[in-house]
Amino acid sequence: MTTRPPKIGRDFLRPDAPAKAAGVEKYAVDHYGENLLWAGVRRAGVPHGLIRRVDAAAARSLPGVRAVLTGGDVPGTNRQGIVHKDQPVLCDAKVRYAGDPVALVLAADRETLRRALALIEVDIAPLPGVFTIDDALNHDAPRLHEDHPGGNALLQATIEAGDGAKALAECDVVVTETFTVPIQAHAFLETENGIARREEDGRIVIIVSTQAPFRDRWEVSHALGLPMDGIRVIAPYLGGGFGGKDGATVQCLLALAAMHADGRWVKMWWDREESFQAGYKRHAARLHYHLGAKADGTLHALHCRVYYDTGAYAHLGGEVMALGMEHAGGPYRIPHTRIEGWCLYTNNPVAGAMRGFGVMQVSFAFESMMDILAARLRLDPLEIRRKNALRVGDRNSAGVLMTSSTGIGACLDAIADHPLWKDRAVWKAAAGPNKRRGVGLAAVFNAMGYGRGLPDTAVAKLEITPTGRFVVYSGVADMGQGNATAFVQIAGAALNQEEGMIDLVQPDTDRTLPSGSAAASRTTYTYGNALIRACQDMRRRILGRASMLLLVDRLEDLGLLPGRVRHPATGREIPLAMLAATLTTPERFCVYQYLMPVVPDPPATGKAFKIGFPHLLFSYGCHLALVEADELTGETTVRDYLAVTEAGRILNPQTSVQQVQGAIAQGIGYALHEDLQVEGGIVQTDDLGKYIIPTALDLPDIRAVFAQAYEETGPFGMKGLGEVASNGPLPAIANALADAGAARIFRSPLTPERVLASLQQGPGM
Amino acid sequence: MRKVFLPRDMAELWSAMADEPAARVYAGGTDLLVAMRAGTVVAPALICLERLAELQGVREEGEEIWLGAATTHAALLSNPLVGRHLPLLVQALRTLGSPPIRNMGTIGGNICTASPAGDTLPPLYVLAAEVELQSPGGRRRLPLRDFIAGPGQTRLETGEILTGVRVRKPVDANCHRFEKIGQRQALACCIVSMAALLTVTPAGVVASIRLAWGSVGPTVMEAPAAEAALTGSFMTRENLHRAAVFVRQAVAPIDDIRASAAYRREVAGNLLLRLLPG
Repeated sequence: MTTRPPKIGRDFLRPDAPAKAAGVEKYAVDHYGENLLWAGVRRAGVPHGLIRRVDAAAARSLPGVRAVLTGGDVPGTNRQGIVHKDQPVLCDAKVRYAGDPVALVLAADRETLRRALALIEVDIAPLPGVFTIDDALNHDAPRLHEDHPGGNALLQATIEAGDGAKALAECDVVVTETFTVPIQAHAFLETENGIARREEDGRIVIIVSTQAPFRDRWEVSHALGLPMDGIRVIAPYLGGGFGGKDGATVQCLLALAAMHADGRWVKMWWDREESFQAGYKRHAARLHYHLGAKADGTLHALHCRVYYDTGAYAHLGGEVMALGMEHAGGPYRIPHTRIEGWCLYTNNPVAGAMRGFGVMQVSFAFESMMDILAARLRLDPLEIRRKNALRVGDRNSAGVLMTSSTGIGACLDAIADHPLWKDRAVWKAAAGPNKRRGVGLAAVFNAMGYGRGLPDTAVAKLEITPTGRFVVYSGVADMGQGNATAFVQIAGAALNQEEGMIDLVQPDTDRTLPSGSAAASRTTYTYGNALIRACQDMRRRILGRASMLLLVDRLEDLGLLPGRVRHPATGREIPLAMLAATLTTPERFCVYQYLMPVVPDPPATGKAFKIGFPHLLFSYGCHLALVEADELTGETTVRDYLAVTEAGRILNPQTSVQQVQGAIAQGIGYALHEDLQVEGGIVQTDDLGKYIIPTALDLPDIRAVFAQAYEETGPFGMKGLGEVASNGPLPAIANALADAGAARIFRSPLTPERVLASLQQGPGM
Repeated sequence: MRKVFLPRDMAELWSAMADEPAARVYAGGTDLLVAMRAGTVVAPALICLERLAELQGVREEGEEIWLGAATTHAALLSNPLVGRHLPLLVQALRTLGSPPIRNMGTIGGNICTASPAGDTLPPLYVLAAEVELQSPGGRRRLPLRDFIAGPGQTRLETGEILTGVRVRKPVDANCHRFEKIGQRQALACCIVSMAALLTVTPAGVVASIRLAWGSVGPTVMEAPAAEAALTGSFMTRENLHRAAVFVRQAVAPIDDIRASAAYRREVAGNLLLRLLPG
């Protein structure tokens, strides 16, 4: 622990690191209770059907079983969902995917729970399934949600700018391709879990691994018909989230269980297989692209149709697709665009939020298209990107005027100057026997914040204790990304206090204030902005009290120093402990609500998006992958990797590098390995032996550097960087393989089998 | 509750096996415990062989090396006799699972699981390994390729255990190669593997060659025609390509979640090219 106040722009060690490294930090999953009950769910096991009967008699009579609940036992609406309330807590009439819950069991121990779940007889009359994008587009397909006016299209939307698709006719060259990406799983270390209890006053307390504790309270309230103030949600540090815990997983089920547990703690903890079968996923997608340019490489027109498989329930599917569509043209100036999207219900697992949030899918398409176009025009892939890179004052491919920090050009310049790029020919020529080497670029971006229509706001709460310490009450969960670290650093810097004087409270709906979800690369930006202002208020309040105690009549004559206030002119000081003791309780707290700015005059397009379009602020990145492919086996090895990121000013280089490296590791998994396979609605890759995530041996050393800028609206000039880097690896590696002489691959992941076939096929466009 | 026996000598073992005829006998458990968790194996009782001194360690016995069936992969990897005499097995063991799995899993377990993807099996095939089996009624020896009967199937008889595996030191071999393709670089189930043991003359002629492949058939697959084609030939790209055709004819892979049969067949042949020097 440092003994000087933290500095912005310098490495600042995570305050939570020692406790986590020592194994004493309690995640939700580490919470048990005396006399604990275990809760678990019987899942449908069939992807689509009508429930005829759920017979729980045998399960109920098993000794140790406390209760078995079915759809009819759910009070309230029995519907959850962030935007559309279409997902039952327990299915009452129909099941729409194999992971749908049909019964909830409370039992005295896990073995009894397992046996009771197996004893429940579920009789479901099967309905024909909708398992593919083409199935869902078929008008004769069975409808998953009979009341949904769009049929199996959860959302159909269009973004148009300039003259739209018509302008393709004005292009000297048009390239046309189709890309397909699979489902990705979050595969966090801590699977979905929580613990809940009904208190004596009737309130339900839930300690849960969640990215959105305040929204959880609202979800539980709505689904179970409980008053909002009758629910308390506590969100300890998460063992990973990546979007998969943004939305109700165990929350409503646990609260329902707690209502039948007579005041005992109830624990629900999905095992790995259940997490794969029932947890939220990244959308599989198919992307049809037509990209047109002038002969000199100037981008002129884009027409694309994107299809996202959203699975059985809406979750954030429409919003995920909206963000994908907003990014469909890449970080480029394309005057004429038409971007059409279909977000489709299927009987597959529910797709929702995941790091990159719809953007990873389109990044594969647009960055592959840029290389295909460059090859067609015999242009250097870096130069065609520099030529078209967005600058302040341009409109992006969604027609939004770029008014804030727009650093893609600086990222591209940094790549151009880097030895890995300049010496690439030498590196490629040094490939060993039976190996081929290639170098690939990807220029990517990712919006920050919720976008128009959904206020992106946070309420910071800061306390000075009667002994002169400070407490930051964080309303946004920390799933490992490091926002808690940033809050301590920001408060320490803004208040000029040592880290050891600052405590941080993790989100708790009783103690902290609503600050939105840990999502959308927004947490440090939005909460940090609120926190800085709360610190400014606190500083004025402390100096104000000091002015009385020291008889100094101008605040600017006083200095707030670590642990004390000083009057430099006379050398007199008052310790904060002494000062704080004179404050009354209301004076000891500062609360500030910050609201993120939005696009002031959104373009007249994307009208189907009720929320989340368009965005004002983006972070940027340019990635360079040095890839070696084996001609005998198709194995692909990323030998070196450089990522240049523009995310405003870097507050903490250490955690920023970690975020970029983590995103790239996950992105390399998406590029080379990860493929959640579903056959007839049943997940085939339901454990970590079949669902392949990269190990340390599969990853290169990742060089993460920053093209620093200053975002005028950001806390100390920063923008979020939790997601942007995840978008680069798949297109960069795909481009590198094409550079190595393989036929271009349009379907990911880039498995040895696909790469071998494409190496044998040889170079294409 | 399930009974778990940890016999410390052979008498305790035979007694436990007699008392619990339905028990699963194991050493390591890295396959068995996973299968039990998944519910694909039901074991009313477990008998663990790891405490039996008779099944532990590595011995040099004249021209042979004896490997105790309950010796862990990690112990084999750090054993100087294995390092000196069986570099092919060392290469394979390095690709097996991960450090925790290698600390727990045993070579006897890998053999008795009899998976076509078992990483130690192709090396043991080309080393012409023999298994030693024991029961209260006596001992017998069997070539490994006769012991393994099919995927997950062995000729282990009721009441019998595997105590060790014996290989001749490959004193003449001057090229030991194990190649494995998985879905990632560690913790990967094999998609195709190849073990090769060669004697190459200073002039570059193949004097003798033994080859075996994993994950391309119901058991480890061999290709005598490829071996014959290469024996007496120069180690050239062309000759290896020619032999690879025989390999692709000899193997019998299937499609599964990891790869297609066609890919496995193709790569089984291609891996021969890895034998080209430099």
